[in-house]
Amino acid sequence: MNDVEPIRLEQVSAGYGRRMVLEGLDLRLEQGTITAIVGPNGSGKSTVIRAMSRLLAARSGVVFLDGRDIRNFGSRDIARLVSVLPQSPSSPPGLTVRELVELGRFPHTGLFGRHGAEGKLAVESALTLTGLSGFAERPLDELSGGERQRAWIALALAQGASTLLLDEPTTFLDVRHQFEVLDLVASLCASGDMTVVLVLHDLLHAANYADRVVVVDSGRIVADGAPSAVLNVELMRTVFGVAAKIFTNPESGRMVCLPIGPDRS
Amino acid sequence: MTSTRTFVALMVLAGIASLALFVLHLGLGTVWIPPDRVIEVLLDGLTESTDRTIIWDLRMPRAILGLLVGGMLGLSGALLQVVMRNRLAEPGLTGVSTGGILAAVLFLGGVWGLPQPGRLLPFVVLVGALAGGILVLLVSSKRGGIDPLRLILTAVIVNAILGSLTAIVMLRSNYALGNILSWLIGSLHGRVWDDVWLALPWAAVAIPAGLLAARAANVLQIDDESGRALGLPLQPARVALFGLAGVLAAGAVTVSGAIPFVGLMAPNAARAVAGADARRVLPLAAMIGCLLLLAADLVAQSFSIKPPIPSSAYRVGLPVGAVMAILGAPLLIFLIRRSTR
Repeated sequence: MNDVEPIRLEQVSAGYGRRMVLEGLDLRLEQGTITAIVGPNGSGKSTVIRAMSRLLAARSGVVFLDGRDIRNFGSRDIARLVSVLPQSPSSPPGLTVRELVELGRFPHTGLFGRHGAEGKLAVESALTLTGLSGFAERPLDELSGGERQRAWIALALAQGASTLLLDEPTTFLDVRHQFEVLDLVASLCASGDMTVVLVLHDLLHAANYADRVVVVDSGRIVADGAPSAVLNVELMRTVFGVAAKIFTNPESGRMVCLPIGPDRS
Repeated sequence: MTSTRTFVALMVLAGIASLALFVLHLGLGTVWIPPDRVIEVLLDGLTESTDRTIIWDLRMPRAILGLLVGGMLGLSGALLQVVMRNRLAEPGLTGVSTGGILAAVLFLGGVWGLPQPGRLLPFVVLVGALAGGILVLLVSSKRGGIDPLRLILTAVIVNAILGSLTAIVMLRSNYALGNILSWLIGSLHGRVWDDVWLALPWAAVAIPAGLLAARAANVLQIDDESGRALGLPLQPARVALFGLAGVLAAGAVTVSGAIPFVGLMAPNAARAVAGADARRVLPLAAMIGCLLLLAADLVAQSFSIKPPIPSSAYRVGLPVGAVMAILGAPLLIFLIRRSTR
């Protein structure tokens, strides 16, 4: 049934200057699923997202967007299909939530266009979905970290893209707000139209929320599959260098990966 | 949305205030013409009278230039603050003021040996101004891109160099020093219709273009990665907005010299009262610029000083640039203290 493939990487290598970060990556996203990309610091997780959205051009290999070579797209065409939320986004002091979310319409209206009825609707529904309708006129810098993160997700939603790439959306949030943000992402995917990629540090979250976990190490994919198939003691030792215990959560039936200390074997 | 309503109210308020100042400005001078008489003359364009001659031939150009130059500098500053990601940025940082003044000084100082500056001067200033802006842009671009921080640093440095050259040329020739000083400080004295025609085309093109750039400016205000993810090519956008700011400032410098502060104050005032959205900051900054410059020029016109030259029979009005700096600074400090924590 997955005849549309939102994004496919084929033998993609990418990097900065002389330093190659990704080497020959193959990865195909399934529509309507949540994919978590995990891996140690500096493994190239963020670079995968940047390559998928052409924020970083692939040095070799091809990125396919909607089945077509991403190099044939204009920047705004890409932005209509893929939303990216970077790791530490920033907005000018005083900008309100609504003003930020309206920026999401930029790829549709361009430099001189105006928001049509469709744009207004997209902004309103993004605010509603993220539970921010009551905060719309508040400046972003007066909100809590969790609310702010939701505002940035609302911007990505207002973009109207069907693929959402989130780079560590839970960093800097307390546990409750981490769940809040991830629940929001999961609810977006529930309809089956949205395809989401999450770069995550927390393997507990990856196991809890993702349909699929892709483990990246030194610019290569070292494991790829359902959380229960991928996360194991051996992987935790070789990739992350930690000893871990793996359980099954009796409540959800999902697996729990509990790192217990540095690997001393 | 209350914010939109506030914005409209602010724009209308600033517009009415500007209009009132404009009428006052037309009335003020050696012969005082009361506002109701000014309005009467403005509405009835046909009847010949002394008042009509005074208003239309003598005072109108200066008042119009007050509006134009104020609006151009206000908008220019607002655009630059976006491009440079810095609320201290002002039109002078484009290099056009120092470039224009250096050209003026070289020209007036007779370095090029032209006997009569005459009406050529504004064109010389314009060429110098545009050259100054292009110089800043060239020096700060690297692999076709401009980084906000690098741009601001190189702008300060290029300005310092151009300013030093100006000082050296001025020392070489004290000829026409007074004239040069009025360019350095900025003044609208003795401006005529020709000056209006000189500034108008720049204003007519660059002000609408600058206002239309609001959407791109908004995207430039968020972090680079998020901005690019929205599909805006950042470097071309920055270069374009810098170019617009430079053209606006060049148009202003050409007719008025380097009037300080308007371009710093207007955008900061606009942000303090209307938030961060460029769709509001840009028009409001232009409007506040008009208001401020007209107000400062009213004051400048009201006070005159007698130069300490024995032979001089004339009193000269204060340069609007000096008034702007003296009166504007406290207002700006107040606004900034209010809007920052």
